Amino acid sequence: MSSFEKNFRRGIVRSNPTFVLMLGLCPTLAVSTSLDNAIGMTAAFVFVLVASNILISLIHGLVPNKVRIPVFIVIIATLVSIVDLMMQGFVPALSKSLGIYLPLITVNCIVLGRAEAFASKHGVLDSMADALGIGTGFGLAILLLSFIRQLLGTGKLDLFGHHLFTIPGFSENPVSVLMLPMGAFLVVGTLLALFRWMGVTKNE
Amino acid sequence: MNKNKGFWPVIFLTLVVIIAIVALTLTNGITKDKIIQAKKQAVADMLATLFPHMQSFDYDKDSGLYTILAGGEPIGHAFMAKGRGYSGAIDILVGVKPDNKSLQGIKIITQQETPGLGAKIINPSFLDQFKGVGINEVNLSRNGGKIDAITGATISSSAVVEGVKKAIIRELGSQQKGGNS
Repeated sequence: MSSFEKNFRRGIVRSNPTFVLMLGLCPTLAVSTSLDNAIGMTAAFVFVLVASNILISLIHGLVPNKVRIPVFIVIIATLVSIVDLMMQGFVPALSKSLGIYLPLITVNCIVLGRAEAFASKHGVLDSMADALGIGTGFGLAILLLSFIRQLLGTGKLDLFGHHLFTIPGFSENPVSVLMLPMGAFLVVGTLLALFRWMGVTKNE
Repeated sequence: MNKNKGFWPVIFLTLVVIIAIVALTLTNGITKDKIIQAKKQAVADMLATLFPHMQSFDYDKDSGLYTILAGGEPIGHAFMAKGRGYSGAIDILVGVKPDNKSLQGIKIITQQETPGLGAKIINPSFLDQFKGVGINEVNLSRNGGKIDAITGATISSSAVVEGVKKAIIRELGSQQKGGNS
């Protein structure tokens, strides 16, 4: 297995940011109320993570150790601001529904964590693979969460204004608690237990 | 060269910040007009849900009053109201007929009420009650008004009513005496 493939795969299951590392849970819990939000958040997050890993791995030989963290934060914050402005301009509805959680990618510990733990020590290709893998892991986790919460919490599935399907007889009395912040914890906890029990994830 | 010695860390960080500023200035240049346009469009869409015949609108910054125009003639006014809901502020758009005597209707812009209970304030069955109601009659029916509260969502219903009442007094002057708010 090439090192690109190895670094890509690691983020998806073995160090899945949500279910194994349990990093960056705050935005994951908050925006996983609908599939639209999950897709928008994943797109923004993957862009920022890949771009920051590439930029940081390119300059890591030049960065003085003392100002390492401020430099990373400036790079990440710039990328997030670019995504934020673009979303406000081109997809205002999505920008509104992601709200504060989009700018908060700046302080998302996954992004800084990968910059510090991986990109500042590896080459460009490996860092890109790492970012894509972690991004995919994050995306799959948040999509799964929002799928379960939207389906059981509202009794129906909508995607970008298109109605997919309704559970007959269930949508009048859905488990609305799943749409609340508490529901996010319940779903994450249940999935964590399930994955652990099935042996999909284990402590590293 | 030792990259950790002397002023190099400071210079390096300054350079990074300058590059970041340039990148953001360029992005801002590309997106600025788009964002203004998108915001204006969002306001126009919001007003059009209450006034389907709207062609354009004027906005008075000082009073916060929108004047809705069709064919050059005002067909109504609108303003924002804020209610204190069960879990945070409820932003409401209030539309009034051109004579300022009765409501065109109201629309909930943002709310964080409990799904399945308080969030029912966005249902047409609740909101439609406000259509055509005189500005003095905006009150819950238990307080002698014309609006029936939603079962199980009294706090959210009364938050909307109180918010609308306050905004009417603010924008159109007090025509309601006392009240038991």
